[in-house]
Amino acid sequence: MKRQAMLLKYLVALASCALLLACSEKPAETRADPKSSLSILATSDLKDVQALEKMVQDETGVAIKFTFGGTMESTEKVLKGEANTDAAWFANARYLLSDPAGQARVKLQEKIMLSPLVVGVSTSTAHSLGWDTAPKVTWKDIADAAKDGKLRYTMSNPASSNQGFMAVMGVAAAFANKPEALTLADVNKQRLADFFKGYKLVGDNSTYLTERFIERQGTDLNAFINYESWLLTLNRSGKLKEPLTLIYPHEGVATADYPLLLLNDAKRDAYQKVVAYLKGDKAQHWLAQNTGRRSISPEVMKQEARLFPGSKVLIELPFTTDRAVADALVDAYLNEFRAPIASTFVIDVSGSMNEPGRREGLLEAMHFLSGEDSSLAGRFSRLASRERVWMLPFSNEVQEPTYFEVPQDQAGKTATFQRIGAYADNLKMRGNTRLYDAVLQAINMMAENKRKTPSYLYSVVVFTDGAVNAGANFAAFKSAYANLPAEARAIPVFVVLYAEGNEAELRALADLTHGRAFDAHSMSLVSVFKEIRSYQ
Amino acid sequence: MNKTALRLVVTAVLGVALAGAFTYSFFDKKASTSLLHKQEQTLNLRGLIALDVEAYLKDPRVVKVLDENQIKLDITRVGSREMAGKVAGGQGGYDFYFPSGVVAANQVADAAKKAGLTTTSYSPFYTPMIVASWLPIGKLLVANGLAKAAGDKVYELDMSRLTELMLSKKRWNELAHNSDYDVSRSILVSTTDVRKSNSAAMYLALTSYALNHNETLSEREAAKTIAKQVAELFKRQGYQENYVNGNFDDYISIGIGKTPLAFIYENQLVAYAINKRGVAADMVLMYPKPTIFNKVMLVAANDNAKRLGDILASNAELDKIAIEYGFRTANADAFTAAVNKTGLAVKARVTDVVDPPSYEIMADMIEVITAEMKQ
Repeated sequence: MKRQAMLLKYLVALASCALLLACSEKPAETRADPKSSLSILATSDLKDVQALEKMVQDETGVAIKFTFGGTMESTEKVLKGEANTDAAWFANARYLLSDPAGQARVKLQEKIMLSPLVVGVSTSTAHSLGWDTAPKVTWKDIADAAKDGKLRYTMSNPASSNQGFMAVMGVAAAFANKPEALTLADVNKQRLADFFKGYKLVGDNSTYLTERFIERQGTDLNAFINYESWLLTLNRSGKLKEPLTLIYPHEGVATADYPLLLLNDAKRDAYQKVVAYLKGDKAQHWLAQNTGRRSISPEVMKQEARLFPGSKVLIELPFTTDRAVADALVDAYLNEFRAPIASTFVIDVSGSMNEPGRREGLLEAMHFLSGEDSSLAGRFSRLASRERVWMLPFSNEVQEPTYFEVPQDQAGKTATFQRIGAYADNLKMRGNTRLYDAVLQAINMMAENKRKTPSYLYSVVVFTDGAVNAGANFAAFKSAYANLPAEARAIPVFVVLYAEGNEAELRALADLTHGRAFDAHSMSLVSVFKEIRSYQ
Repeated sequence: MNKTALRLVVTAVLGVALAGAFTYSFFDKKASTSLLHKQEQTLNLRGLIALDVEAYLKDPRVVKVLDENQIKLDITRVGSREMAGKVAGGQGGYDFYFPSGVVAANQVADAAKKAGLTTTSYSPFYTPMIVASWLPIGKLLVANGLAKAAGDKVYELDMSRLTELMLSKKRWNELAHNSDYDVSRSILVSTTDVRKSNSAAMYLALTSYALNHNETLSEREAAKTIAKQVAELFKRQGYQENYVNGNFDDYISIGIGKTPLAFIYENQLVAYAINKRGVAADMVLMYPKPTIFNKVMLVAANDNAKRLGDILASNAELDKIAIEYGFRTANADAFTAAVNKTGLAVKARVTDVVDPPSYEIMADMIEVITAEMKQ
């Protein structure tokens, strides 16, 4: 009887193999439930939880697989239904979920952990401001210190990242005449402008910001606005010149609650298993100890309290549901509050740019910069009001720079965009690649302008498609660069890696100038330019 | 089993597999003789349920009791308000709907009627709507005449005065005798998204009752006018969680800093307390005066589902399990005894209770608020 039952099982397994047309030779493996996997689109600030992949698989049998992406980009993918994953995991989903389209995408949601957005201030600065012993520090104190130049901070770009966006929403709420129901009329623009005076280093990626912060802490930066978890981890890393004192502003903070969002209803069971594990004590302790996230379980939190310096009550700032306010705040940040961008685009117009697709790709990117794009990721990518741009083409020679300034008024803006588009369309591609002379000239040009107008944020963007075969080589460039004054060496160079450009040399150029290299081999130039924009 | 029988079963199995309904569990029952017989007897019921009853219905003990009574459930969780839209007759329909609240249940029954179905409603257990709060907040509200202590760590909340105060946009730090909660945020009760969830709709029912001079609204135009006022109490909260546990999760995880006053079902906190065998010492319950009972309603769309309703309403073991999930049943003493062990204080008998307005009026008011919140 027993043997017959076994045989029966085997026969049936074979039969179902034939039916499914896709299973391995061993019948046992056909038992594997194809639903026991869960692909997750996560924002890059969650890279520190990647070790969960193995833990979840071991404990629940569900194979989870993370794909990481930028905040706004990922949010947009979910909104449009283009995430192509079973679930999404963001620091917060308030922006997504205040949109009916976003709500419709999300089948289930569960908060997994918490981290408030706080202000990490160099210990010595906190001491000299009296914040280390003050019973309360308010957002007003923070804005005052920023306005007076005493607080010089870095944080992620509010237009392209979650942290920055949450910070701006929080600050706006703290300064509003009314404590909630923030509308545009309630926003105290002057106070926001004061707060942004202290915003000295922009970027889109906490790792990048941290590297720069480590270099510049104590010189031109003394504070870092980020999630508590990130700052605690940074303090523990031993890489800082001095640790950061974490300030939890009295009016309140914005807390990330890391909801895990189910997008694919067919994966409900796998999702629920994963959630049950992540919310369980074991995972909660692991997250607190290894990633500095606060536990959603009060019991676990009590046991891990020693890890969190600001264990006192955290007041949560209300978060406006009005997307128009959110969008307008980001627009206002870009076009009014932030230090405006001044940059030189060093553009390769050598003969090789006539290879199929190259000139077209470049033109598309330039039109994109000077075009209208209302998408979440697009609106911060185009040139903003007040922005100054120099186009510096090079081939056999470094050509004359052409200057554009984007006015505040819409009509003037549109006219300027049209001129930039026409300029791009008229670019002629011929001759050699005199890259480094052009880069050197661009850096000098930016340094000179910075002396005249220090309120702008200066950078150089380099685009080339081939090996350098005219003018200074990289070695000559390096020695010339070493002799530049400090203010010129403070101009970051953002480099596009493209076609036959010498990748090793170009990466070295980015490192040398404390800029960053962006790889366009596998992405469109438009996407790469979009990304660069959040570092400018 | 002889060879012929084996071949027959394999053939049958292939047929099932082709129909797309094949599973291995079929074989693990090794019930080669009684299988067909048992399948005839067992009722397989498909149902849509609200989150409130999900854990209860999936509890292995509940599954076992139902199993002993030849009932198997195939359940899918959806929002209570979405249920009415999913009611259908014939193959696409469900045997039962288990929404949270009378309003949603009435909507389901109404939709069923339109689809030509006759339904029977059951209310096996209920829970009062409460405001979960914190000891310092309780003391502060008492000091300001907004609440009354009704025992140790139990309060009665004066809904008329509180509603009035909230509409006047008072902030916490503007209250008298306030040394413990120096917060510049407005005094507001946090709820889930009223456009999505039943619990927030109950809050709407209570605040509109207060504004209507302590009368249940029965007139549509008056309801709309009042809804316009009440809309503020939702809108000014800013972002609200749009899943039922969101607000409760914030109360538990983030605490007094985010949710000094959280409008929840009593059973959410009671179940949590029983499950964890305790709560934080400063967690307190406030009973709105008056409050509303949220009846968890089973709407049976056919005779088979009626058997489920009968068992849920009459089985003593199921009654006991329901209490563990924080629900009150006909057995009030058993409920109080179970909760008292956890250190959470509840009101033994909740007496000042009103009904929510009819669902047409609720729907009207929610529509008004939805429009207001878009502005």
